[in-house]
Amino acid sequence: MAKKPRKAGSYTSPVFTKRMYFFLIPALAFFLIFWIYPVLQLFYYSVTDFNGINYDFDFVGMKNFVKVLSNGTLSNSLKNTLIYAVVTVLVSNLIGLAIAMILNTKIRLKGLFRTCAYFPALFSAIVVGFIWSYVYMPGSGMIAGLINLFGGDGSAFNPLGNYTTALFAIAAVEIWKGFGTTMIIYLAGLQTVDESLLEAARIDGCTEWQMIRKVKLPLISSTITINVILSVIAGLKAFDYSFIMTNGGPGKSTKTLMFQVYETAFTDMKMGRASAFSVMAFAFIILVTVFMLFFLNRREVEL
Amino acid sequence: MKWKKVVSMICVTAMALGMLAGCGNDSKESDNSAKEDNAGAGQGEEDGKEAKAPSEVYDHEAIENAGDITITIMVSGTAYENDFETEQLPALAKEKWPNLTVEVTKLPDDNYYTSLKTKLASGECPDIILTQPMYAGQNSCYSMAEAGYLTPLNDLDCMAGRQDLASVTYNGDIVTASNSISILGCYYNKDLFAQAGIESEPQTWDEFLEACKKLQDAGIQPIVMGDKDQYVLQFGLYQLAANEIYSQNPDFDTQLRTGDTSFTDEGTWDTVLEMYKTLYDNKYIDASQSLGYGASQAITDFIDGKAAMTFDGSFNATALTAEGAAGSFERGYFPIPGTKGVYTATCLGAGYSIYSKSDYIDECKELLDYWMDGTSDIWKANLATGRIIATYGEGATETPNYDLFAPFVALMNEGKGFYWCNQAWPAGTETEMEALFSEMVGGQGTTVEDITQGMQDKFEDLLDD
Repeated sequence: MAKKPRKAGSYTSPVFTKRMYFFLIPALAFFLIFWIYPVLQLFYYSVTDFNGINYDFDFVGMKNFVKVLSNGTLSNSLKNTLIYAVVTVLVSNLIGLAIAMILNTKIRLKGLFRTCAYFPALFSAIVVGFIWSYVYMPGSGMIAGLINLFGGDGSAFNPLGNYTTALFAIAAVEIWKGFGTTMIIYLAGLQTVDESLLEAARIDGCTEWQMIRKVKLPLISSTITINVILSVIAGLKAFDYSFIMTNGGPGKSTKTLMFQVYETAFTDMKMGRASAFSVMAFAFIILVTVFMLFFLNRREVEL
Repeated sequence: MKWKKVVSMICVTAMALGMLAGCGNDSKESDNSAKEDNAGAGQGEEDGKEAKAPSEVYDHEAIENAGDITITIMVSGTAYENDFETEQLPALAKEKWPNLTVEVTKLPDDNYYTSLKTKLASGECPDIILTQPMYAGQNSCYSMAEAGYLTPLNDLDCMAGRQDLASVTYNGDIVTASNSISILGCYYNKDLFAQAGIESEPQTWDEFLEACKKLQDAGIQPIVMGDKDQYVLQFGLYQLAANEIYSQNPDFDTQLRTGDTSFTDEGTWDTVLEMYKTLYDNKYIDASQSLGYGASQAITDFIDGKAAMTFDGSFNATALTAEGAAGSFERGYFPIPGTKGVYTATCLGAGYSIYSKSDYIDECKELLDYWMDGTSDIWKANLATGRIIATYGEGATETPNYDLFAPFVALMNEGKGFYWCNQAWPAGTETEMEALFSEMVGGQGTTVEDITQGMQDKFEDLLDD
């Protein structure tokens, strides 16, 4: 029997027939129910005075949004989040890239070093945060102990209890845990660089720095884009270490956007206001991500 | 083939809609029905369950007459070896009533709150749940009673005649059955006190400051606190509030809600905050250390003998009386004295409430009555854990560490015990107080006036909706 000819403009193939779309339904249903539906509910609750317990709530219009903007919690948490994101994005990408470049060369025990660099990424944030709160502990913590060992005053070392250093201290933990993942992605990108191009550059007399600057970095620009975007999103969604290591303190110095959402919802029991906060954070993260993607994609083309 | 596709599509759509319906809620309807149940209307439920109307006196043989039944209980906490709630309670209940199965779920605090809200929203809440007095926490009995989720427990025999139930009484109905109290106080190391020449527990604020000075002069850190976990600030502040505010005006917090008092009133919270700040100003609590210390790290320092005192609750007595690097030195526990005398922040502990839509309301009441009657096997087992401080019943004075708590119980019996401040505030007021106080002792330029104003603003904001 002769096969039916494919219709012009049809995207299905003999292998992926139209009926195959049917099999997408379960996954799609789960996605809609457990992801899209709750997100839509967030928008719904953001205009109510729901407290998380009493379902006899009322619609309050834009009141929650006005409160969030006027009571100062947004500006403080946004400032902290941006500082945290900038620090983690810059440092984790620089360290990740540098280590990836080193571990992409022909050195002995390369596999072992790669494993060691990736090791922190295997632990959960809870474990890492708990361990590091003891590492940072003043007086008898690991770092303070080392300072004492070298004749310094370990009790004066108190990064989590100091207003100016607390945010950077938890950002350092995020970097410690995350740079391994960044490194792996850079390593994968570097391994796609054609050896013949590097050979040609060497023949043309490129120094190592010129080779990195003019050949390797442009060729892994898409990898840079991916890593930066992922780090930006992770930075803007920062919550774990504020929650585990400092609980937003000292004072309000490590309260990030997501921490503030959590506190508004579960401490203040203002689920409606927390939803409004989330909607604004959601819009902000989308805007930043789209802008970064647009900017970095244009740079990729230029390079 | 085509009809099969259509049938499949309909099935999948129906399934999806069904799941959506399960996840969602018809908020107003479900809530209203809960309220109606609570009021004792006893109408049929929207989900088909026939709720029982609470009667004047519950059926004291409800379990015996119920046949094989299962009562579900959900509590917060971490299960330990031979755990009372998850192991002993079900076994002892089975021994007493062979036809009764008690299923207990014990969840860590955050999981408990999330689970509780989800189960309440879906109308599938366990029969008995753990609730906190007044407005404390996300499982506060007042918030839940207001939403109509709790059954009145006025007819429980074990509650009859008790005068200490105001903080679990909502609109005239007792909604939580609590058999324990919780205390805030100052644990101290008797050896270090003796070393510094302090002969007795301080009875006035000046004596307390003097003791701190003696310790400091002797080269001993007077007080260690884990202020990195900012909630520990409540441990000292609430004791001072009992002395300076509630002893003068027990209705201070009630009047806050009516606008008759304010956090900014002179001689109230400004005094309390100023007194507590004195401890930091004089480095009796070293902010440069404490702001980087977690609560558990502070406990470790205390039992290691690195500091003479720490402010903490009766709930941490086991950890604070454990043996550390300093060995098994003798501990004492006293209420921080104020300028108005010695009062204590001692209040009713968390207790158990019955879900208003439970199928087994009378059965749950019978179980709670037996549990808290002061003589039953369940009561004895509960007391033997050493995790509760009871003020009545057999063996109440023989629990571990009771010697430490006895002076507080005596003060409470004299009418000198007051609830913890946050129990009367909308949740969130205390976190604002903690954050601003941390800023002040952390040298951020925040003043006492900023804190009282911040607390008042937050209080009004939280009550605004």
